[in-house]
Amino acid sequence: MELSTNTAKNLPEEEKRGITESVQYIVIRLGNEQYGIDIRNIDNIVRMQPITRIPKMPDYLKGVINMRGEVIPVISMRLVMGLEPDEYTKATRIIVLKLEQEGNVGFIVDEVKEVVTLTSNEIEKITYNSKEEKTNLITAVGKHNGELISLFDLNAISIEGN
Amino acid sequence: MDVSQYLEIFLDETKEHLQNLNTRILELEADPEGADTINEIFRAAHSLKGMAGTMGYKRMQNLTHDMENVFSEVRNGNIKVKPEMIDVLFQCLDALEEYTDNIQSTADEGTNDNDALIKQLNDILNSGSVSSAKAEEAQAPEAAATSVSESGAKWDEIALDDSQITVIKEAQKQGKKVYGINVQIQESCILKAARAFLVFKAVEELAEIIISEPSAQDVEDEKFDRDFTLIILSDGELDAVIKAAESVSEIEKVTGAPIALENNKHYNKSEEAEVHEAAPETAGTETPEPAAATPSVPAAASAPATAKPDAKKQTPAKPVVNRTVRVDIEKLDSLMNLVSELIIAKNSLVSVSSQEQTNVNSAFNEQIEYLEQVTTNLHESVMKVRMVPIESVVNKFPRMIRDLSKKLDKKMELYMTGEETELDRTVVDEIGDPLMHLLRNSADHGLESAEVRAQRGKPAVGSIFLDAYQDGNNVVIEVRDDGNGIDTEAVRNKAIERGTITPEQAANMTDKDIINLLFLPSFSTAKKVTDVSGRGVGLDVVRSKIESLSGEVEVKSKLGVGSTWTIRLPLTLAIIQALMVVVGDEKYAISLGSIQTLEDISPSEVKLVQNKEVIHLRGTVIPLIRLNEVLDIESKKSENENLIVVIVKKGDKMAGLVIDELIGQQEIVIKSLGKYTKQCKFISGATILGDGEIALILDANALI
Repeated sequence: MELSTNTAKNLPEEEKRGITESVQYIVIRLGNEQYGIDIRNIDNIVRMQPITRIPKMPDYLKGVINMRGEVIPVISMRLVMGLEPDEYTKATRIIVLKLEQEGNVGFIVDEVKEVVTLTSNEIEKITYNSKEEKTNLITAVGKHNGELISLFDLNAISIEGN
Repeated sequence: MDVSQYLEIFLDETKEHLQNLNTRILELEADPEGADTINEIFRAAHSLKGMAGTMGYKRMQNLTHDMENVFSEVRNGNIKVKPEMIDVLFQCLDALEEYTDNIQSTADEGTNDNDALIKQLNDILNSGSVSSAKAEEAQAPEAAATSVSESGAKWDEIALDDSQITVIKEAQKQGKKVYGINVQIQESCILKAARAFLVFKAVEELAEIIISEPSAQDVEDEKFDRDFTLIILSDGELDAVIKAAESVSEIEKVTGAPIALENNKHYNKSEEAEVHEAAPETAGTETPEPAAATPSVPAAASAPATAKPDAKKQTPAKPVVNRTVRVDIEKLDSLMNLVSELIIAKNSLVSVSSQEQTNVNSAFNEQIEYLEQVTTNLHESVMKVRMVPIESVVNKFPRMIRDLSKKLDKKMELYMTGEETELDRTVVDEIGDPLMHLLRNSADHGLESAEVRAQRGKPAVGSIFLDAYQDGNNVVIEVRDDGNGIDTEAVRNKAIERGTITPEQAANMTDKDIINLLFLPSFSTAKKVTDVSGRGVGLDVVRSKIESLSGEVEVKSKLGVGSTWTIRLPLTLAIIQALMVVVGDEKYAISLGSIQTLEDISPSEVKLVQNKEVIHLRGTVIPLIRLNEVLDIESKKSENENLIVVIVKKGDKMAGLVIDELIGQQEIVIKSLGKYTKQCKFISGATILGDGEIALILDANALI
């Protein structure tokens, strides 16, 4: 009983901090770079699994996977970002995002590292030259423990996926 | 009273009644004397009125009320059915439909009083009643007389048993009054038992019911014709009881009188002493009696005979009421999804059992087979639940054609077959508009004017046919007319004029290609735009709608002879039987519905025609499609090996799909791939195999 009252007391404080100032991001790795995805958009993270190819599709659309009876398309994040094609390792994961327009879409990433909480003063909005397509996906850069994390704009991803 | 929770049911039933009225009034137009039709119309109008009243839609109620008056006069033979009257009635139905639409969108009936229509209805009533007033008067006393003589005897005809007689006598001794009452329910009443129950309740508040004829149980089960007779004990006045009974709605008449035992036909003072003998005798005398008051089946049969003098009022055998439950389509969808999951699970069990080659338990196999059977049946049942006859959609067409015929001033007749053909509910809901468009098209563009028809020696009345039938895994709906057909030259010129195609292109196009131009957006060949068709929005909408239902539409046309529009729709949308094949190292499913045969072809049999590979099979030349090329995969087979060819058919076109390997037939659950596959036309979806792997479904129709 005591324990529960304790946590109950602590909770409001934590919640306040979480809601007012900070956002949680899942940090992923693509090549040598780190990227952050807003945790609220993530439906699921699964290990690499066989992907069924769909003919006549753009390169980055790798195919579809079966996630608990649902068929969802899978996109190679590397190809979208203009990096080298994926090499699947034990660390490779598929991050399933819930997008408003397209429903669930899976993204292949090299590694899922951690969850970080970034406060608004740790996030810096950036404006890019609109001609450089791939960089348009990044809306802001977050600073965490002295490292830089590029934060994805999910709307841009979904348009790319189309 | 808050009636909002009944709104949905009200709308559903109103639509049914309106549809019914539409159909019946059409029938009435063709056969103005049909007593059954008139009765049916009257009943539908009456229920409609009652429902609108209950829901508080006064305008709707008023209009139906006046319509009902007209029907009632028609039924009584006081008004003859005239074409003008039918027109007015149809206008009334349109007005009612408008009310219904308003209610559906805003829960309010709107403010249109339709005074003009109501006035027209009343005019009909007045004009009819003048001539028939006399007849009515003459009939009235007659009817009254028969009913008095009938009902007057009713309670005296009841066979009383010993104990009942004792009860009556006892009551009379105590100074209580014994009455007999006869309650007649309106023949339009649907829930007779419920009304009777209310009468029982009302009467029981004032009196004690000692005998009911038919018995209370039979009345409750609706085992009575239109009236029932009670013998009651009461301290009060007879009038109070009659009033109470009459206060129940849909009661036509309540008659009653004090009972004197001496008047009872089955009561004989001398028999009193020897009741045991009397009992069988009363039973014996009862049967030959023609009275409609007896409850059993022979009585029901004899009832029409007694009612012969006013046969028109007599309801014919009641249509058998289907026992149905209205279910939200979403619930069915979730049921369907669960069944799909079950089938996937079953498939994975099957694949597990086939992998373990080392003497698998035969009992296990048996159970798997049993499970397979059950899931297949379950799936079929669920599919059937979702299937509805296209009747609900096509029923409105005869009316539409009738209106078009008047509007366009062309004589035409619609012939429909196969209304009972069933399709998935979602498809049926969507198919109405395209069909309507095709029919309008036939009526307006297809059928020629009367003069042209006469010149060509065609019958003056144009024919439009709507045929629906099932063809394998598809349902085919054909709209056919015996009109002018498509003038391909006119289309060609129009297309060139519009810049849709260049003259050079036009020269190379076959008639079929030209006809396909009609399906392009904003293409209309009608020389003048009418409000029926010719605005250039339509055929492209027809095609896109049907394609969105994974169907297809085709036209065949002969100039001067007529056109046939063929719509082909998949029977099921969710689970199909498919042939699993291997191409390269990938698995694909091909719907069994489009597969004709499987062939083993040696490479030497493959010929080249116009640089395309074909095979010659039993008299037909069939083009070959190498799936590995279409799908961008390396084939695993060498060139010298025999080809495995799946012959697929779409309409009258055939093609041979070359695959690497056959896996076998399997029941698959179609999963949508969403937006992403729009770019890949020949993949119609995906399915999850037993081992969790995904296989794509090839749409053979798109490949041909």
